[in-house]
Amino acid sequence: MTHSFRGVTAGAVALMALTLITNASLAQGVAASEFPRAWDGHPDLNGVWQAIGTAHWDIQDHPASAGPTEFGAIGAVPPGAGVVVGNEIPYQPWALAQKASNAANRYTEDPEVKCYLPGVPRATYLPYPFQIIQGTDKIVIVYGFAEANRTIHMDKENPEPAPIDTWMGRSHGVWEGDTLVVDAAGFNGLSWFDRAGNFASDALRVTERYTPLGPNALLYEATIEDPDVFTDSWTMRMPLYRRLEDDARVLEFKCVEYAEELLYGHLRAQPVED
Amino acid sequence: MLFKKLAQALIALVVAAAWLPIAAFSAEYHHIHIAAPSPIEAVRWYADRLDCVPLAAPSNSVNCQGVEVIFAAQPVLGGSQGTGVNHIGFSFPDLEAKMAELERAGVGGRGVRLQRFEDGSTLRDVPGLFKVGFIFDPWGTLIELVEDPDRLGFHHVHMSSADPESTLDWYEDLFGGERASLKGQIDGLRFGNYWLLVAEHSEGAPAPTARRTLDHVGFIVDDLDAFANAMRAQGVTFEQAPTVPANARSDARRAFLIAPDRVRLAVVESGWSGVVADVESNLETLEPLEAYNVPQTPWGEPDLQGMWTGDAAHGIPLERPVDTAEIAELSPEEAAARRERGTLASIWGYEREWRDTTLGYSKWDPLTQVAMIIDPPDGRLPPMAPGAQEILAAARAERGPPGSQAGPEDMSSWVRCITQGLPSMMTPGVYNNGLQIVQGPGFVAIQKEMIHETRVISTDARARAGSGIAQWLGEPRGWWEGDTLVVETTNFNGRVPYRGSGVNMKLTERFTRVGPEMLEYMFTIEDPTIWTQPWTAAFPFVKDDELYEIVEYACHEGNYAMPNILNGARAAEREAEQVAN
Repeated sequence: MTHSFRGVTAGAVALMALTLITNASLAQGVAASEFPRAWDGHPDLNGVWQAIGTAHWDIQDHPASAGPTEFGAIGAVPPGAGVVVGNEIPYQPWALAQKASNAANRYTEDPEVKCYLPGVPRATYLPYPFQIIQGTDKIVIVYGFAEANRTIHMDKENPEPAPIDTWMGRSHGVWEGDTLVVDAAGFNGLSWFDRAGNFASDALRVTERYTPLGPNALLYEATIEDPDVFTDSWTMRMPLYRRLEDDARVLEFKCVEYAEELLYGHLRAQPVED
Repeated sequence: MLFKKLAQALIALVVAAAWLPIAAFSAEYHHIHIAAPSPIEAVRWYADRLDCVPLAAPSNSVNCQGVEVIFAAQPVLGGSQGTGVNHIGFSFPDLEAKMAELERAGVGGRGVRLQRFEDGSTLRDVPGLFKVGFIFDPWGTLIELVEDPDRLGFHHVHMSSADPESTLDWYEDLFGGERASLKGQIDGLRFGNYWLLVAEHSEGAPAPTARRTLDHVGFIVDDLDAFANAMRAQGVTFEQAPTVPANARSDARRAFLIAPDRVRLAVVESGWSGVVADVESNLETLEPLEAYNVPQTPWGEPDLQGMWTGDAAHGIPLERPVDTAEIAELSPEEAAARRERGTLASIWGYEREWRDTTLGYSKWDPLTQVAMIIDPPDGRLPPMAPGAQEILAAARAERGPPGSQAGPEDMSSWVRCITQGLPSMMTPGVYNNGLQIVQGPGFVAIQKEMIHETRVISTDARARAGSGIAQWLGEPRGWWEGDTLVVETTNFNGRVPYRGSGVNMKLTERFTRVGPEMLEYMFTIEDPTIWTQPWTAAFPFVKDDELYEIVEYACHEGNYAMPNILNGARAAEREAEQVAN
């Protein structure tokens, strides 16, 4: 399928016109002038944001499918349009097999199941809000899942190598016009992209672009480079929405305790009874 | 309106007739009690800025043209504004010159913060009255400066009341203030040479003065017993009955009571000459004495951003050890030895070289502060509340002895990599003490390296989350008091109690930049189910932007301890079984 979004423009009258707009116009930042501005004139990204969709299940096009039967319809996978531009991910042959194996074992092997740090860009489109705190030298993003957070260094001339590989990597940001461009690398290669087993290695480099779309929306693009896993670079693209509730906040989701039975249940003195 | 006033006057008359045949115990102002972390510094400030005269004894007070201002090293939980005593006033012969002088002293830190009027000016000529301007002392006391040639020096106490008229009546009837009009403009009371003025409190009821920077106002009376009897007849509650305090300098007595508008008053009798105060504050040695201007963010909030660490404070015990009673601070050698002991006790199995190089311990000299608790003043936790021991015992019983963990739930939330809880996550440990602060307008993010938790604190008034959303780290609500970030946290889920305090804990933290590289951190815990009174501790964070970078502490992801502990416990069980067979 082609990747389009339905953008909403509100007229002076109550009538609302649904207009199909193209990726190109989205990327240029429709109505970017309406976007709040920070003290230095750059877009003010401060706020609570969230992706809406099913990319956390599968970043590619996917029909509805069954989940664990004991959870009935709650556990089923909802259908969704993918967020991968062109839908295809250029896996090397071994990696495609690995992806299939990951998918088959996702209920025990997915790092999300274990409450592990989600990595980048997965943290962005997990079904939890995240908050951006845009400081003078650093931008901190606090994600809803697993207490994940990351610092985007805005004060380094050149990206510095990460002192050690980590789940969330090391991020450096620059402004290109109204777009925040973040270079993220130094990953440990243990993260997945989704619950469908898409993955990368520790050679992963992610270039993220956050571009204002309107006062309450951003276009998020993440270009994935990993020569150990893919034959070419590829890109995800999706909008992020501002949470408009007056008291929008990222609530604690310290999920470790919900994964302990899965991880350590076999080491209990007495098995937990259902 | 006239009827109301008449009615009030009648009631006052009836009450006076019934209870106070002779109204008026002719009380006089005696002192203003101001809480400041360092009384020595406060004495210096009031002498330098307001021309008060330091008193030889007690050395923690100044005489401001007849009224004493006494400073005590007690934690300050906020400025004077918003309480029943909004500000105090001083009069100078040439206010323009005085304001210019104060402006030159610089703002922030231990300088002078001037409150500007809307047009940017620092003083205003009020027609028919005099010139006025407002400043703050470094501890948050609002001070009005006036140019009233009729009365120079200490000028007035300006109260704030939901019902100014009845407050004036109260002080008139019970303290013998004399009704008068200041320049024919403002109705008030005169106590000798000084004024008591009352403004209408704009929003709701004023906050208690107790434990704020202007803690209380002191009056002196001739006959304290007769005064106390008259007060009791009026239903006034004494916080403390007339008593000679243990540390008093004379045999004269003092009483504390709560006046209307929750104003704390001290009333002393003739001969009172103060108490022997502990003027050596714990914090005295930690703070640079020169004026320091707290930097501002480009959008105009105090700028606390940067990488801070608690490394220098590691090893300072929460409570003052018994062998350090009456010791103001450790020597550098003692502090180094203390840190060494503390480190070895925690990570005895680690190589010293790795600790000193990789952990960067040699970077900061250990602080010489004796204990973290600064209130109660003895540095010890207050007595436990009835029933608290049972709560603690129940918590201990829930966890089995080491080596017998049946499952993850038998381990602490820290071992489980869930959270250290509050305030534990803020207090320094052996390593990973990095604390990064990043601010956006109206938000402060506090990132703690151990175990990669970030607290996001809103400093704008906003709706509270419902009580149905209790969290491990509670729900924080922040605001700025001058240059201090105040964070009040409640709504804890109680699953990671601090010394027994869980769901009922109210944690009030204060972050104040006291120098380019020092962030004073003070926290107060209130939990009447565990302690009989609130208590306060303090230690500083030191800035380290150049050498320290927070590295991801992926605790749960690398939690080998958890399966190893459980495996060990199971192995021990198997062994015991084999022995039994």
